[in-house]
Amino acid sequence: MVGKNLFQSYFDSHFQTKEDVYEWIAEHTSQQRLTVIDQFEEREKAGSFLIAEHVVLPHIESEEVEESQIMMFRLAKPFDWDQESTDVQLIIALVLKKDEEIGTKKKISLFMRSLADEAFIDELLHAEETTFHQKIIQFQEERS
Amino acid sequence: MKIIGVAACTVGIAHTYIAQEKLENAGKKAGHEISIETQGTIGTENELSAKQIQEADIVILAADVKVSGRDRFEGKRVIQVPTEVAVKSPNKLIKKVEEVMAQKQ
Repeated sequence: MVGKNLFQSYFDSHFQTKEDVYEWIAEHTSQQRLTVIDQFEEREKAGSFLIAEHVVLPHIESEEVEESQIMMFRLAKPFDWDQESTDVQLIIALVLKKDEEIGTKKKISLFMRSLADEAFIDELLHAEETTFHQKIIQFQEERS
Repeated sequence: MKIIGVAACTVGIAHTYIAQEKLENAGKKAGHEISIETQGTIGTENELSAKQIQEADIVILAADVKVSGRDRFEGKRVIQVPTEVAVKSPNKLIKKVEEVMAQKQ
């Protein structure tokens, strides 16, 4: 894992199902694991997490997480998130702390806007490990 | 064409902002004037002015939740879609907008 504060990046992650992903995130961000998993599942019922080909953005706002975090996972091997979201290679997960301060929310919203840029997504999908981590660190530093 | 719109999603932190950016990029690329207001967890940003609303040819509501101030668009042609449509297929959505306007004329 490389990163600090809000942003963290993980390369060659070995997730094989979305349940693995939810489980991992819940375990690393909250004391209330099952509630967080439920919150991801509930949010997903409202709409797909797929934001680009091979990229999903699972995200929740939760009173059960202590810190807001954006976790970027480049997978060692792509997997099918669901029937629609196949061959997923990049997972950008966001847990937003309930009543997070406005400055942090603004930082997150800026990052989200950058995900509209196909070239940036493409870089994240194809960068070598060092570059991948650098992209995230740069992002954090530029906007600190 | 002058396009305005609002983006608003369930959590209000992710799709709202991606949808805004993608719609604005796709609209500009297609040669239109476009401005999308965001109603997210931060509150309202890039708020549409009365002049922008008055001059707009069409309104896109990319929303998964109730849009605040929807009555501002009364009498306007409105296209409403879930945010994921704007996120996944912004160019197609702008094409659809063009088709709707062409039918109107």
